[in-house]
Amino acid sequence: MRLFLNVSNDTLFFYYLISNLVYFVLLLISLVNSAAHQRRLGSVRLERTRLSPLIPPVSLIVPAHNEERTIVEATESFLTLDYPELEVIVVNDGSIDDTMARLRQHFKLLATDLVYVTEAPCKPVRAVYMSTIQPKLLVVDKEAGGSKADAVNAGLNVASSPYICVLDADSILEKDALLRIMVPIQNDPRQVVAAGGIVRVLNGARVSQGQLQEVRLAKQWFEVIQVIEYLRAFLIGREGWANFNLLLIISGAFGVFRRDLVRQVGGYRPDAIGEDIDLVVRLHRHLQENDKEYRIHFVPDPVCWTEVPSDLRSLARQRARWQKGSIDVLWRNRDMLFRSRYGAIGWLGLPYHWIFEVFAPMIEIIGYTTIIIAAVLGVMSRQYFFLFLLFGYAFATLISIGAVLLEEVTYRRYNDWRDVSRLVLYCFLEHFPYRQLHMIWRLQGIWQYMRGDIAWRPMKRIGFESQRSAR
Amino acid sequence: MPSVFSLVSRLAPSRYVLWAVLLSAAGIGLLLGFILLRRVYRHRYFQRLNRRMAFLRNNWEGVTQGIVPTESWWSKTLDREMVESILLDQLENANPTEADRLTKFLRSSGLLDRRLFEARKYRGGRRRNALLSLGRMRVPEVIPVLSEALEDPDGETRLIAIRSLGRTGLLEAAEPIVQYVLRGLPDVAATTVQNALLRCCQERPAILLPYIARADDAVRPLLARVLGEFASADIADDLILLTTDKVAEVRASAARSLGFSKSAVAIGALARLIEDPDWFVRLRAVAAMGQMNDPRAIPPLVAALCDENRLVRLRTAEVLSRFERQLPEILRAVMLTRDEYALQAFISQIERVGAIPKLINALGDAAKQSEARKVLMNLLKSGAHRMLLDALAHHPVGRIRAAVARLVAQSDDERLLPQLDEPRAAQPSEEQEVIQLHGHEAQKKVPV
Repeated sequence: MRLFLNVSNDTLFFYYLISNLVYFVLLLISLVNSAAHQRRLGSVRLERTRLSPLIPPVSLIVPAHNEERTIVEATESFLTLDYPELEVIVVNDGSIDDTMARLRQHFKLLATDLVYVTEAPCKPVRAVYMSTIQPKLLVVDKEAGGSKADAVNAGLNVASSPYICVLDADSILEKDALLRIMVPIQNDPRQVVAAGGIVRVLNGARVSQGQLQEVRLAKQWFEVIQVIEYLRAFLIGREGWANFNLLLIISGAFGVFRRDLVRQVGGYRPDAIGEDIDLVVRLHRHLQENDKEYRIHFVPDPVCWTEVPSDLRSLARQRARWQKGSIDVLWRNRDMLFRSRYGAIGWLGLPYHWIFEVFAPMIEIIGYTTIIIAAVLGVMSRQYFFLFLLFGYAFATLISIGAVLLEEVTYRRYNDWRDVSRLVLYCFLEHFPYRQLHMIWRLQGIWQYMRGDIAWRPMKRIGFESQRSAR
Repeated sequence: MPSVFSLVSRLAPSRYVLWAVLLSAAGIGLLLGFILLRRVYRHRYFQRLNRRMAFLRNNWEGVTQGIVPTESWWSKTLDREMVESILLDQLENANPTEADRLTKFLRSSGLLDRRLFEARKYRGGRRRNALLSLGRMRVPEVIPVLSEALEDPDGETRLIAIRSLGRTGLLEAAEPIVQYVLRGLPDVAATTVQNALLRCCQERPAILLPYIARADDAVRPLLARVLGEFASADIADDLILLTTDKVAEVRASAARSLGFSKSAVAIGALARLIEDPDWFVRLRAVAAMGQMNDPRAIPPLVAALCDENRLVRLRTAEVLSRFERQLPEILRAVMLTRDEYALQAFISQIERVGAIPKLINALGDAAKQSEARKVLMNLLKSGAHRMLLDALAHHPVGRIRAAVARLVAQSDDERLLPQLDEPRAAQPSEEQEVIQLHGHEAQKKVPV
């Protein structure tokens, strides 16, 4: 027993140490990369990029399922994006509310006999509509597929541009976000096959007519912690991994992909729980198997603002779903592990995800248990116990504050002193009880996946316009 | 009294953890301190910047005319940078007279010389900043300095040198860029080079022709692509020569250029390119024909509508749909091809560009209704009835709904006849006209 507790505690210590050290190294890399990126941006004039005839067309695909509250504002905002060659495809995924009626009424839609080839599998399309007032808009009305992937596939089949950008209907894209995300693609269209932008938390911000007016921090504690999580995940995690071309996720809320490649891999997998990670892993697999030189980029300055769960129940569902999505993809691609054919993805990217993402909640719960038992039984000295807890707390806080620092020195969206102070404060407070709740939600996700429960549970939304007034 | 270090050493293995805790805490303190100090510094900096910016903008005329003495802003780095920034912003949007005046000030104030000096003397970030400013100055003196920077060992500096040469928009700046490219494919992204050349060669694209002739197979497509963006009738003969180039990308660019040239001889050359073995050359040829907007292009385009490549078919349909006046003949010609894919692509496109709603509305216009009816009937016969049925159910004008109903009835398509009952159910309040069917004939009858 004593031996088991000692081994378990030592394992937990090193697990924590390695996990935080990896993040610390990623933080340093991200600081250097962000500074270099900022410097490079100084020589890029976006208005020139916009006027360039060499800029490739992009099809925006916006899947919408019961989005009556935001769909019109969101579509309007996508249509006014600052990009010269744009096609917006809204996919109504069998909504049972007034999503389709609102679109039809607002954009004066007419059914068309558009010809397209169904290359990516999806549920039957009822009709494709064009707008009589917005030539850039197409609306695909299809039967509910039960997943975002199914809806995106329908849009992918209809899309006519060489690049597709997948967005959530409850997101707001900054005006120049598309121009910015296309910069690395334009610079190297042969190698850069996909690029992801940064997703930020919309809750608390002031929105009018589908446009972001003022960035403010949300009021509820767990919304602020989600802001820190997003900063850490994108500004440190994605930026750092992308540096080694080991990016496994491009957020489903905002990413650009080469359409021909997405079609080559069969589009999104309709039964995927985490369609975003699934697609990127399959792209890696496809390109590695075909010995292609490629890059999957993360671009930190194009911003997509998205509504995050504003009640704990929705948050729990979302996190459980993310966990299920990760396990699903990693399990399906387990044959890529430690195979030289898949290079660094097989040796580093996927193993890291297994150990520090999928197993994390299990290791954490075992750790909590054994460490407490060891402390009670006196196997571990009380000093060591408290110091160890203190170290875990301090190092994790350091990483979180590092993410806030990155935000401060680079993109600086939160200008108000009070917001920054609250962000820093919550870097200290996120470890209890949020971290433990998060662990439980992820364990629920694992349990649900093992039971075969992969049903999608909707998140409660409050809509764009009510972001401030609801508080 | 024992020292802190001896106390710590007594902790045995825990001392390592304690050191880790202390280091983490120190890190947190440093980061917080940095955030705080940076915020305070930036707050003050921007306050000062705004104050000085307001002063310079309010006295801008005085600054450029020398009424505000140059020494008053030259010696302060912040002021000097602001004057340069305002000046370069104004230069970008100035008319020729204003640009002359500002350029004169740029030279006389010493701002230009200072940047030339910095670009030659320094390396790294300072050189890159100088190069960026020089590019925006758009005067010929900057070209030798920017060309020298193309030899810089740092890739980022070379990239900025190319961008800056392009930003000058001067024809003379094209020469060093092309020479740089001709030395072998550069490590700078092709689109960056092309964008720079596009700006420099806008006035005289012909300058690229001799270089294209000299370039190897790897570089020729890059230069031809630039030429493809703008061309004039006077270089049409050279362009036609390029349509027989062995590299497909060059042929595609030649097609694109011919479209811009609007030359009388272009149609023939493009018609040949429509039969090119490479699909993207055919695609470019089709697009170029669209740019010419010449009805002589219709027969080869109808042929291209039957292309084996889907993208070519779709693009051709898009081009053909722009010939609004010739729409009935085109539709007839497309139907005669008996190619289902071609017909689908064409109908889908005319729906997409909004031609069908226009035709439906034309049913209410005595002058246009006969032609509109012919086209719509052809559409119905080809199976494209979705929009017409939509109009039958939802069109706000009863007379047009009735006309559509007659067309549907006359179409001989039994699958559609049940749809004729639906309008009455859908819009009972608007029923000023009742459509009654007798066999395949629809009659309009005003209710009592």
